[in-house]
Amino acid sequence: MEENMERNMERNMKRKSRGRQKIEMVKMKNESNLQVTFSKRRSGLFKKASELNTLCGADIAIIVFSPGGKVYSFGHPNVDTMVNRFKNINQPFPNPNNNMRLSEVQPHTFNLQMNDVLTQVMNDTEIAKKKSEEIRKKRKNSKRPENWWENPVEEFDLAQTQEIFVKVENLKKVVADEASKNFQVFPHPNFCVGSSSGALFRDGGYINPNLDQYEQRRMFNVNAYYNQNMYPPIYQLPYGNNSYAGGYVPDQYNLNFMHAFNQYQNQNQNLGFKDEGIPENERHQDGHPPHF
Amino acid sequence: MTRQKVKMVFIENESARKSTYKKRKRGILKKAKELATLCGVPVGVIIDSPYDSSMEVWPSRVDMDDVVSQWQRLPEMDRTKKMLNQKTYLEQRITKGTEALNKQNKENKELEMKEIMFDCLSGKIAPSSIDRNDLVGCSNVIDQYLRILKRRMEILSKNDGASSSSAHAAATTSAAMPIVEMGSSSTAFCDMIRQQQMQNNLNHAVMDLDLD
Repeated sequence: MEENMERNMERNMKRKSRGRQKIEMVKMKNESNLQVTFSKRRSGLFKKASELNTLCGADIAIIVFSPGGKVYSFGHPNVDTMVNRFKNINQPFPNPNNNMRLSEVQPHTFNLQMNDVLTQVMNDTEIAKKKSEEIRKKRKNSKRPENWWENPVEEFDLAQTQEIFVKVENLKKVVADEASKNFQVFPHPNFCVGSSSGALFRDGGYINPNLDQYEQRRMFNVNAYYNQNMYPPIYQLPYGNNSYAGGYVPDQYNLNFMHAFNQYQNQNQNLGFKDEGIPENERHQDGHPPHF
Repeated sequence: MTRQKVKMVFIENESARKSTYKKRKRGILKKAKELATLCGVPVGVIIDSPYDSSMEVWPSRVDMDDVVSQWQRLPEMDRTKKMLNQKTYLEQRITKGTEALNKQNKENKELEMKEIMFDCLSGKIAPSSIDRNDLVGCSNVIDQYLRILKRRMEILSKNDGASSSSAHAAATTSAAMPIVEMGSSSTAFCDMIRQQQMQNNLNHAVMDLDLD
């Protein structure tokens, strides 16, 4: 435990990079540093060139050879045009830009739009990074020592790991249950209303003609993070919802709850999604919802 | 002190534009020189604008001639492979920027889901209060965590050679249990849940024994 703390302190105090350092204007000695420097500075130079054109409307071209002999170039309107202009520099023909009056310089429309988009992306990235910091800070501040499971898994012993494993598995079932409650589940045409738990579907089940089948199927896609078409439950499970009083810490998720739920599920074997009207080959293949 | 962020937009004001041009041109030429010197590579810059009476060329017209000659000697494919203009350059940056943004958002979402998971485990919140839209994300994070825990148990069980076989069996049974797939049919789903429950009851029973 103490060893971890020491290592953490060291990591916090060690600088991530060397920061701004004054460097000699001579060819760099270290080969790999030179490569990195080339890459970064070339990138920065092109950025400056792009900005010069955007801000001031100047035409510009830059040709750079890499340490390995490959060539990189940037040019507006394009490199070839500018190279030709350079080659004709001594020609009697006047250069296009030099005869323009300042007021005639116009930016390209695409340039404006794309810079807008780029600016937006950059701003959003900054916001996202700040949010990341916020979340991490919040986690650090709200961390309580008695919640030992919130520490890294590497610190658990076997018994602790097993204990947490069971609890997390239980949580998984409860979450899955919550998820299924949020699905629009309506009975298969062959569903027989007989058992008491069928009472919930006695009005023939609520059939929502507007329900988007693909949205439902996509709910099972483990990569779907956000689903806009989820409908609220229109039925209550017979034994009500478990609610947690503030401050009450359950030892384990109520397995009796799940047991009853399983029995309930067994009685409704014919539950399924209405999949009429969708040809076989068009059905979304990821994670089929149950259907019979 | 942070300077004001410049908007990447054509400067309408002519005198402001002119002065910006002069400063930035100076900066570009300086950076080009540094790049050439530090990395020992040929660099050539051409700037054409209404703000200068003649084209600006760096290092010098003669040196630029050399660069251009070297450049034109290359096969066309090599020349154009890394050639950029404003449009392609900005497209590239937008693509990279968007990828990074999506990655960060995904990471943030995972962190949030982790918080929700831990809050559920500690009883701070009830699973029923999880936002509908977060349920899938939550179960993903839960699955991830289960995998990590499983791996940890496998490692510990291996190292813990002296421990009793019962504890080992309990661990491996949990590890061997298939994690319930969301997409399976409802009866299979229930069967699996019941199976897991029975195993859990077994585990609980085992853990109640005095294993040492």
